[in-house]
Amino acid sequence: MGLPLENFKHEVFSLKDEKTNDAYGSYPEKRSIEQRINFGFVLLDKPRGIRSRTASAVAKQILSPLGVKKIGYSGTLEA
Amino acid sequence: MTGLLPLAINNATKALSVLLLGGKEYIALMHLHGEVDERLLIDTFKGFVGKIMQMPPVRSHVKRQYREREVYYLDILEIQGRDVLFRAGVESGTYIRKLIHDIGEKLGTGAHMTDLRRTKVSTLSEADNPVTLQDLDDGVYFYTNESDPRLLDRSIQNIERALDFLPKVFVSDSAVDPVCHGSPLAIPGIVKLNGFGNDELVGICTLKGEIIALGKSVISSADILNGAKGIAIKTDSVIMSIGTYPPYKRKDQGQWSSLV
Repeated sequence: MGLPLENFKHEVFSLKDEKTNDAYGSYPEKRSIEQRINFGFVLLDKPRGIRSRTASAVAKQILSPLGVKKIGYSGTLEA
Repeated sequence: MTGLLPLAINNATKALSVLLLGGKEYIALMHLHGEVDERLLIDTFKGFVGKIMQMPPVRSHVKRQYREREVYYLDILEIQGRDVLFRAGVESGTYIRKLIHDIGEKLGTGAHMTDLRRTKVSTLSEADNPVTLQDLDDGVYFYTNESDPRLLDRSIQNIERALDFLPKVFVSDSAVDPVCHGSPLAIPGIVKLNGFGNDELVGICTLKGEIIALGKSVISSADILNGAKGIAIKTDSVIMSIGTYPPYKRKDQGQWSSLV
């Protein structure tokens, strides 16, 4: 038994053969921590007794020395 | 109440809404307000699987009117006297506290929720490196004061990992910058693609696998593969910063740049 979209496998269809220039962008798996900050997420295990809003604000405060300016959370989990 | 709460950072915050498309899984503890026959309890739980109508609780941030939500599965794990531990897979926006209240009403005894833990959000589960606020704080400390990146490295994951269930198109380097500016993606820019229908949410990625933007398909992948022309995806929210890839140059632009 599972949730919809879980274990979803995608088939890839190619239209043409083309390479990417390694001078631009970054392979996600090769990003440094600094690069990952901008395209990252944290899977937080929210503790009991604080609201999702607070947990997200605390995480932002902890990560702010690393250049985290904005943090958003998905799906409120009650205190 | 504890459990998984995905936090998206900086540019990745624009991809947050996607996580609401998948379901959620919880482990919940229900306390019954009276004795209930086990057989009746099991049957009543079965009756709450499928489409249900739910009124959001008084203290909620949405309009209080009945709305339909889907319960994908309810598995009773343990019954101890009046306490029932169960696992629930539900659609986004289903209130477990309310579900338990409604099951209690149906049973006739009443019931309330005494504990709740979220174990899955979309395709993210407890197996995907969840971290506590303490882990995060320690990770930053070790990284900045002891040059040890291991804990922080494990704590901050690539947003692409949270989007793996989305169908995607992979585009040429030259098509990346226009999409960063919010331009719709035309078919000639596509190199590879997954299967999707018309008017579906699709991720636009580089050939390196980086997410550029999210958009809605204007035509299906089958039509694209059959040689259709024109716009393929309308760009909705852009995640990659402008300037990551070189600006797009039209073929006839050479003479203009020589004039400037």
